[in-house]
Amino acid sequence: MFHYYFLLGVRNLRRNPVLTALMVLTLAIGVAASVSTLTILHVMSGDPIPQKSQRLLVPLLDNGPARGYVAGAKPTDNQMSYRDAINLTLAKTGEHRTPVYGMAAAIEAPRPDLPVEEVNGLAVGNEYFAMFETPFLYGSAWGEAEDRNGAKVAILSRTKSEKIFGKENPVGRRVRMASQEFQIIGVLDNWNPLPRYTHLINGNGGSLSGQDEIFIPFSAAINLQLGPNGNVTCLAETNPGFQGFLDSECTWVQYWIETKSISDRAALKDNLDAYMSEQRKLGRFQRQQPAQLFNVMEWMNYLAVVSNDTRLSVWLSFGFLLLCLVNTVGLLLAKFSVRAPEVGVRRALGATQGDIFRQFLTEAGVIGLAGGLAGLLLALGSLALIAQQSKDLSVVAHMDWPMLALTVLLALAASLLAGLLPTWRACQVTPAIQLKSQ
Amino acid sequence: MMRMQNLSKIYRTHMIETHALRGFDIHVREGEFVTVTGPSGSGKTTFLNIAGLLETFNGGEYVLDGVDVKGMSDDARSRLRNEKLGFIFQGFNLIPDLNLYDNVDVPLRYRGLSSADRDKRIKDALAQVGLGSRIKHYPAELSGGQQQRVAIARALAGSPKLLLADEPTGNLDTQMARSVMELLEEINASGTTILMVTHDPELAVRAQRNVHIIDGQVSDLVKKMPSLFDVKAAHAPAAATVA
Repeated sequence: MFHYYFLLGVRNLRRNPVLTALMVLTLAIGVAASVSTLTILHVMSGDPIPQKSQRLLVPLLDNGPARGYVAGAKPTDNQMSYRDAINLTLAKTGEHRTPVYGMAAAIEAPRPDLPVEEVNGLAVGNEYFAMFETPFLYGSAWGEAEDRNGAKVAILSRTKSEKIFGKENPVGRRVRMASQEFQIIGVLDNWNPLPRYTHLINGNGGSLSGQDEIFIPFSAAINLQLGPNGNVTCLAETNPGFQGFLDSECTWVQYWIETKSISDRAALKDNLDAYMSEQRKLGRFQRQQPAQLFNVMEWMNYLAVVSNDTRLSVWLSFGFLLLCLVNTVGLLLAKFSVRAPEVGVRRALGATQGDIFRQFLTEAGVIGLAGGLAGLLLALGSLALIAQQSKDLSVVAHMDWPMLALTVLLALAASLLAGLLPTWRACQVTPAIQLKSQ
Repeated sequence: MMRMQNLSKIYRTHMIETHALRGFDIHVREGEFVTVTGPSGSGKTTFLNIAGLLETFNGGEYVLDGVDVKGMSDDARSRLRNEKLGFIFQGFNLIPDLNLYDNVDVPLRYRGLSSADRDKRIKDALAQVGLGSRIKHYPAELSGGQQQRVAIARALAGSPKLLLADEPTGNLDTQMARSVMELLEEINASGTTILMVTHDPELAVRAQRNVHIIDGQVSDLVKKMPSLFDVKAAHAPAAATVA
């Protein structure tokens, strides 16, 4: 019978075409508004590495000065000092670990036709690539020895590699960066995690758009005295020179630790607390705060990657959808109320109240389906408009299959919900009265 | 075929009680053509609605083709209606958005028949009323008489035990009314029991039996012979009626 009801529903779309168009449009606008904002929230707040996001942890060791500090307040900065980054690396804290800092340098390609360009990249430890499961197009990551020696090796992004070397495999070739020859040992395939969670605190391009074009060993960057291209927080006096900067309590390194299992997190926390206690003997960590650990999702939440505005807009758009739903209820009531004679005839010819209920609810569903498809087009259009507002939004304003399916399902659910009261009213028609009144 | 005994129907509002039917007795045998007459407000429509299981009653008994319908649920009455009854209304009551084929299909859908079975019944029924060539037409494209024929086809397609007709010629001119009446008589002649409410005394006397209702009660039962199984006799003037 569903097939019969569905066909009747499709046929009845043509009946009261103005009312039908209004309903489809109302649903479509409501659904499009909700889905557009939800898409952005969905992309922004998605888990970029679900298979291990609980084991990838950011340690936060508050090394700010005690003066003026109110106990329990948040750390002044969310990054780490170079000293702590080195100490944690040398102590082989956790299963795997990597320091991360943003660097920028002029790069000269081995081609006379290409100009000298500034590239944005990351200085990282060799375990960065395995920890974040970066895909390699060519070559592979460097090893521990290169980290120890500060070897001048580099891994390029696919985009950068193709820009300099075209489609060929550049492994073994050299580029000149910061007046030094770097040997290319690998090329990352397209890898644009959203958000760019491995390096959320940065001064260039936000956490959503942009791409790291080159990766070099952390030790090599330090040896070349490549300053951080990003936020640096210094709350105390520092000694002059690069070495003075490295020895200071300035925070500018982001640090990641991977544990073997989720349950190792507590042990890691104890380990970090013990480390801070040791350091306090040297006069550091005067705020007496324990170490904090954040997994990927906690870290994104802590740094408020998804702003409250984004969440608010989702709530508002769902409020708007509710408004559209109420309107649809009214329109459906109008559409169904003129069908009382038909209900009377069908009841007289043997339809049960259940049959009428299913027929009219299916018809509401057909309107919902039409509204969903129209809503899909509107949502795609509005996302295209949103994408034009900023570079960051252009990255997140894309629909994936789950969101496409959600759009249609949302419209369907909305129409069925809106159809309940009008359908129930249709079922209450007294056939005897309807038949006589015609 | 159908029997009502001491049946009563009371409409209640918070102010008054109206006894639409009281102590109502009727027995219609299989194959009969019975007309029901009576002045306005006498209870004809209430009787037909109850007979058609469209309304419930307050007291008494009603047995339809061996099934006691007293206390039946709404769903059970719907199924019984679909299975045993055919309706013909004064206003035709076709669904304007459906073509003739789909209109006749409506009661068959609720019976859950196979597609092939429905197709055969629809085409046969429309052919029987002389509209076999117009199955794709819509009701608005037909005359009143033709629309009533479609309604008759819709009622026939389900092979009902009892055909209930409520002023089936009330909206038709004399010629169309006569042709519809002849069609009903043919249907009756082929074995279908018909119960018809009418205002028209001429039509009333054409049936085998006329039941006159006054103030919610059967005032008298008149048997008329010979039977309308004889088509020629159907055109003969009424032999006797009770005014």
